[in-house]
Amino acid sequence: MTLAETYACIPSTERGRGILISGDSKSDTILYTNARSVVILDLNNPLKVSIYGEHAYPATVARYSPNGEWIASGDVSGTVRIWGARDDHVLKKEFKVLAGRIDDLQWSDDGMRIVASGDGKGKSLVRAFMWDSGSNVGEFDGHSRRVLSCAIKPTRPFRIVTCGEDFLVNFYEGPPFKFKLSSREHSNFVNCVRYSPDGSKFITVSSDKKGIIYDGKTCEKLGQLSSEDGHKGSIYAVSWSPDGKEVLTVSADKSAKIWEISDSGNGTLKITLTCPGSSGGVDDMLVGCLWQNDHIVTVSLGGTISIFSASDLEKSPFQFSGHMKNISSLSVLRGNSDYILSGSYDGLICKWMMGRGFCGKLQRKQNSQIKCFAAHEVEIITSGFDNTISRISYQDGQVTNEESVGVGNQPNDLSLAPLSPGLLLVTFESGVVFLRGEKVVSTINLGFTVTALAVTPDGTEAIVGGQDGKLRLYSVNGDSLNEEAVLEKHRGAISVIRYSPDLSMFASADLNREAVVWDRASREMKLKNMLYHSARINCLAWSPNSTMVATGSLDTCVIVYEVDKPASTRMTIKGAHLGGVYGLGFADDTHVVSSGEDACIRVWSLTT
Amino acid sequence: MANAASGMAVHDDCKLRFLELKTKRTHRFVVYKIEEKQKQVVVEKVGEPIQTYDDFAATLPADECRYAVYDFDFVTAENCQKSKIFFIAWCPDTAKVRSKMIYASSKDRFKRELDGIQVELQATDPTEMDLDVFRSRAN
Repeated sequence: MTLAETYACIPSTERGRGILISGDSKSDTILYTNARSVVILDLNNPLKVSIYGEHAYPATVARYSPNGEWIASGDVSGTVRIWGARDDHVLKKEFKVLAGRIDDLQWSDDGMRIVASGDGKGKSLVRAFMWDSGSNVGEFDGHSRRVLSCAIKPTRPFRIVTCGEDFLVNFYEGPPFKFKLSSREHSNFVNCVRYSPDGSKFITVSSDKKGIIYDGKTCEKLGQLSSEDGHKGSIYAVSWSPDGKEVLTVSADKSAKIWEISDSGNGTLKITLTCPGSSGGVDDMLVGCLWQNDHIVTVSLGGTISIFSASDLEKSPFQFSGHMKNISSLSVLRGNSDYILSGSYDGLICKWMMGRGFCGKLQRKQNSQIKCFAAHEVEIITSGFDNTISRISYQDGQVTNEESVGVGNQPNDLSLAPLSPGLLLVTFESGVVFLRGEKVVSTINLGFTVTALAVTPDGTEAIVGGQDGKLRLYSVNGDSLNEEAVLEKHRGAISVIRYSPDLSMFASADLNREAVVWDRASREMKLKNMLYHSARINCLAWSPNSTMVATGSLDTCVIVYEVDKPASTRMTIKGAHLGGVYGLGFADDTHVVSSGEDACIRVWSLTT
Repeated sequence: MANAASGMAVHDDCKLRFLELKTKRTHRFVVYKIEEKQKQVVVEKVGEPIQTYDDFAATLPADECRYAVYDFDFVTAENCQKSKIFFIAWCPDTAKVRSKMIYASSKDRFKRELDGIQVELQATDPTEMDLDVFRSRAN
């Protein structure tokens, strides 16, 4: 079982704050964080992704060391981890640096010192230390509130500049670093400070829409970015061009601007870049940027990464996006082209194609949260926490129609019968609701707590799983259910039931880590002892030729069983998704697609 | 000799079969059962040397407890053929509580009768006595 492709998660963003992304110009990769993962993405091939998941708390920022060998990453608990950039990402050292979250981290140019800044409950808001021993190399007082960014002068004599929520820009000389002077030019949070590559100047940008340029050695104000054609919203991040003559800024006014910085320290606007395909909402606010080699990368609040070419600024950027939160469900659709639809609980539905990666987001009328999700060729059904079912019809990736139907209770699970047109069965705590088209045709109270449901594509038979672990088979007559049989085997509440594509078998899985394959005609167990997970089974999928069953669990493993062989000859993928596997599907008979809590989708190849 | 905790005696046959497995290698496995009415541990089944792990797993009932001794052959990292004697306490989750209690309390006393067990394994479902588990415990 080998990993074939990874569709990475996007950086976690927060309204009102910028994010800091960084990269390595030699390997042309960028680094960003999402929840507990640090993602290393290759700019030339966004499908090549490496993810580091060893932080115990959500990671906030990560930086390559100047020689490209190590990566230092900080998290919300104030811990900095230094690990190898290649292969297995072996941990070198771990230090508890601050008492609160780390907002920015920088290596000195010789790779010996690291400065980290952030929140510290009043005491140490900034700390600089030696990378291998952790010993302090200076005292940093002078800030009273969260320090949002810090920078080290890349050339000798070394200087450190920090800026923060107290509107101050502080300047320290050293090593050992001591406070030199403070500057209060800004009238709002100072979001980012960066030195030019030659160390002669540094620029600070702030939520007061200004960018101020200072002399790198003395911290004298030299000039500022011109206010005509300036940003109309808070500037969240800034990045210098590799030659140190231009600067890229991104702002909440949804644009990125490139400025030419003259030697006297004044900035004049060169060009304004906006990302095409914007929906016009808050999600287009740009919160992060990076200028690396020829690439200009901007990140929007909605998580769209746009890569512009610095040499050809008129060319429209390469854009891609993904999920930011737990991808709770996944569906593989086969049609004229095979693609994968993924839904995350925050209401985002994305389309992916194998080999290409991200293909688009589905624009919905209201992005209500998604709890259950089912998809068939031209229709997607979702349900959330507002007691309604949304039926979305789409064609060629565009939503053509979206209807919302109230069902009176919170839906638990849903199943679509595509061949019996419009028939949809939805379960809620004590029963089932029948829907045809947009009308609720009947609500049946079953008398037991229902936890899972499956219906055959022609809508004649349905299986309902209960909290007690029993599977009840019903035949569907018009708008009512007739109980046919009760199957007892599971020792925990049923979490998922699926029919095989050839309809001769069905498989069920429960919260007690067990899965069973049943023969549909005889209602006997075909494959049992599928007990190899160590935590509840979240999802289950059949291969298109009905010979294999895959189960995904909270214990982060995906196990593939062959129905004709004993359960012990299984294939296990350990650690498929940090936090648990929540969605599973078969792209074809040799590829399994899985998605999980880490907001990534991975495609695994079963043939080695 | 009665077992102080649960009052189960050990039938002589049990020890004999075990010694045959250990020294003469005439069996692949031996399965023991506690006969409550006779208040003793008796031999239920004996396996031929040609039988495999799968045959052994098939003899253990899914709803009842048993004790078993299995002679496991494997190849070590240095490429030498070795074998270890495993004692398996088979107590599936679906067995009756009374049965599990009796087997658990008699286990220590019974094991002491069988001198030469190298590894002990407790299995509550088939995955816990899988071949992978045997291999990892053998090293």
